[in-house]
Amino acid sequence: MAVYKRRYNPYHGPLTPEQSRFLVLTRYALAELFRSRVFVLLLVLALVPTLFFAVYIFLVNNSAIQLVVQLRAAGGFAVESKFFFVLMVIQTQLSFLLSCWVCPTLVAGDLVNGALPLFLSRPFSRPEYVLGKCAAIALLLSAVTWVPGLLLFSLQAGLAKDGWIWTHLWMVVPIVFCSAVWILMLSLISLAVSAWVRLRIVATGVIFCAFLVPAGLGAIFNTIMNTYWGNLLNFSQLFSLILIKGFRLESELGGPVGLEQVPLFAAWIMMILVCVISLYILNARLRACEVVRG
Amino acid sequence: MAPTIELDGLDVQLGGRTILRTLTGVLNSRAIGLLGPNGAGKSTLINTLLGFHRPSKGSVRILGLDSHRDGKALRALVGYMPETDAFIAKMSGVRFVRYMAELSGLPPDQAMERAHEAFVYVGLGEARYRMVGTYSLGMKQLAKLAQAIVHGPKLLILDEPTNGLDPPARKRLLELVCEIREASDICLLLSSHLLRDVEETCDQVLILRDGRVASICDLAEERRGNRKFLEMETCGAEPAFAAALQSLGCECGLFGNGRMKVVLPDAVEIRDVYKVAAERGVQIRRMNHRRDSLQDIFLNAMEQSGGTSGRI
Repeated sequence: MAVYKRRYNPYHGPLTPEQSRFLVLTRYALAELFRSRVFVLLLVLALVPTLFFAVYIFLVNNSAIQLVVQLRAAGGFAVESKFFFVLMVIQTQLSFLLSCWVCPTLVAGDLVNGALPLFLSRPFSRPEYVLGKCAAIALLLSAVTWVPGLLLFSLQAGLAKDGWIWTHLWMVVPIVFCSAVWILMLSLISLAVSAWVRLRIVATGVIFCAFLVPAGLGAIFNTIMNTYWGNLLNFSQLFSLILIKGFRLESELGGPVGLEQVPLFAAWIMMILVCVISLYILNARLRACEVVRG
Repeated sequence: MAPTIELDGLDVQLGGRTILRTLTGVLNSRAIGLLGPNGAGKSTLINTLLGFHRPSKGSVRILGLDSHRDGKALRALVGYMPETDAFIAKMSGVRFVRYMAELSGLPPDQAMERAHEAFVYVGLGEARYRMVGTYSLGMKQLAKLAQAIVHGPKLLILDEPTNGLDPPARKRLLELVCEIREASDICLLLSSHLLRDVEETCDQVLILRDGRVASICDLAEERRGNRKFLEMETCGAEPAFAAALQSLGCECGLFGNGRMKVVLPDAVEIRDVYKVAAERGVQIRRMNHRRDSLQDIFLNAMEQSGGTSGRI
């Protein structure tokens, strides 16, 4: 119907499948994000290290340039598991910075002006809301974690000879799996904090604090009590522990200071616990209407 | 056809307090008003209808669907305009409404077309590309109405739709609501503090007090009843005039100084009264239908349900 015909008309047309409707949220979230110049700048910056790593792979696999630059003599290392471990550590830290900006932007806009009841008064549930937002975050964080990791892996596989790909194919698993774990934890923590705080700028600060303050407290606890269990509050270190195990670098790296003493299962339990707490906060805060108790 | 709203012993507890107590009743009109003093449970009832609150006892069915069990299917049929601010500030009006339409299941191209239609329909066509955050209060109300109707719901729930509107904007919004009601088979649930809003748009009223049903009143029936009840001021030969009216089958009461009240039977029209007055040489100086206004109904309901009438 033409817009100039000012008359109310009921809708009798087709509907999209219910199962994929959360992707509407993802699509709109991404579209809104890419309108922000700050976000685009952050995303580009997050991909710069990948570019350097790609150049490094090219140099390592080019014998003529190696002769000129004498890369190995200059302290370079081979493109093995340690190379991808370093890549993943750098990229996951950058993804953390990116999520500090992205998550509050995605959630605060809906919550601060009370748009949530409009979402939830449609055939759309709270888990679908969280799923839609998480999918947007996961896509973005994937673009700076496992996707560049796999691209660099493919580049190395293409440039290296002697069946490098077959002897290193196992590394695909830690690249994808560890990134997925990190993305899941980061998304849930960031969404929970954003839903809790609601104000975008404050939420960005609180997400930083949610990672840095417990880590600092853990370090103080370790110093005072002369123990290592405080490391369980350092999420980045926990993830590094999982990465070390994933890339089979226990003997080579030995883990960051003190971390070698934290059992892997404790790291897993801690990360699962953090995810559960985040889900609890999301469940409590993402409601169409608040109930005042008492 | 299933009733619009069917309350079956509905209890809702929130934060350890019982807000709605054993609400029972059937509302089968197409335009239902929801009235009650502050804290009567109007918003809680709307939130329960939308599935935001779970009934602690009993159930509520809307258009035949259980609000809790069939929540998703029910919300597909509902358009909701909340009382409070509800918008995404950094989104243009038409994009915001399109977004909501897509969440209701409309394909993107259809959603875009309907969003433009809805915006033009509510009278915000010129402002549709402006950020919603820059809208005035009245424009935000209209934008909320646009998002509520964009997907063509079967039931439109309006929570205090005229809040904060100036008289022309209020009139325009109520006209729109009436127009929407007349233009299709859409049902309407309107909660308002303003009795006139409800009176102008609704056929049936649910009055709540302290979380209980104080009254369910059929306004259309009341209006029909009021048409047959006359209050008159006459001059000259009142007893003869009254006797002549009684011979037509009317019930008459004389109150002195020419004041009289008349209940007309179905067969008698007002022009018959004028005819009899002319024959008897009686002047009719004033004639009113009795207007048993919604305010009277509301106050009666408040008194009957106990205590003084609540603040509205």
